[in-house]
Amino acid sequence: MNISKQNKRDVLLVLVLLFIVGTVMGYREWIYEPGETTVANVYYGNASDPIVVIDFFNQEIIISNTQPNAAQYPKHNVDNQTITLLGDYEIDSIRQEVVLRYNFETKTVEIIEEESPYHVCSKQGESDGEALICLPNSIRVEFSTATQDFIL
Amino acid sequence: MTKDVKKMTLFANLLAIAIILNVLESFITIIPVPGAKIGLANIVTLMILVMYGPKESIYFVILRVFLVAILTGKLLNVIFYMSMAGGLFASIGMAAIFKSQFFSMIGVSVIGSVAHTIGQILMAMIILSTVTVVSYVPSMLLFSVPAGIVTGMISIRFIRAIKSVNVS
Repeated sequence: MNISKQNKRDVLLVLVLLFIVGTVMGYREWIYEPGETTVANVYYGNASDPIVVIDFFNQEIIISNTQPNAAQYPKHNVDNQTITLLGDYEIDSIRQEVVLRYNFETKTVEIIEEESPYHVCSKQGESDGEALICLPNSIRVEFSTATQDFIL
Repeated sequence: MTKDVKKMTLFANLLAIAIILNVLESFITIIPVPGAKIGLANIVTLMILVMYGPKESIYFVILRVFLVAILTGKLLNVIFYMSMAGGLFASIGMAAIFKSQFFSMIGVSVIGSVAHTIGQILMAMIILSTVTVVSYVPSMLLFSVPAGIVTGMISIRFIRAIKSVNVS
């Protein structure tokens, strides 16, 4: 076993990995131009259809489904511009609520209230394009650049 | 006989250390993805890899993930599946790289750290059935490469110190 040869390979491995990461991050930062966000889809669990669609273009909220085993959710509060869902994270065997706030002017969504270890979900802050992912509550918000209106 | 007992006791002791490290570092979160950690417990996995062998190191990680989940009351939930996927990817990756002797312990550790990230992301993709989690990969890798170097360096020091203890 040749120690110095291995060390050289180690350095090479680290450089290759950092180069890959740097390329991807650089591309995303400077080259990739996302189109204008028109909708944000809110998903619960592993369903492929969104449970709530936040339509920034038409400035409306479409609640397409109720949550399984929790028919009163999602709740939409027009005055506060919030949508409340029931998350999967439990405290004393009680599932906790997840509150999203949308903003039609800035076209952003933010998870403002949730229960999860270290509040990892709400720490993601406000987003206008990057997906908000809340694994402990099985909720995610994905932004899309096209609506049905645009396609038709 | 005595050698077997010695081997077993040391394995159990190291497992206990790994569990403590695992629980301790769960208090430190830097990346907003549950389960993303520095990988301090990996120091012990690397020691097992050198002292016992590749197969034992994989068993070691499986045991550690199970016991930590039982201790923290998180058995069979999202975080458990993510830890298990990451742990399995990391330990199998490290065992294979270690056997090939292509890299030094630091390289093995970096591979483990990166494999852990990839395992977790793949599990998150399965749980959420979405590919959007892939967007986390670059930022997580940026963190896991230096984390792997650090844990590799620490493990080398421990392996040197513990080499006098002959188990295999």
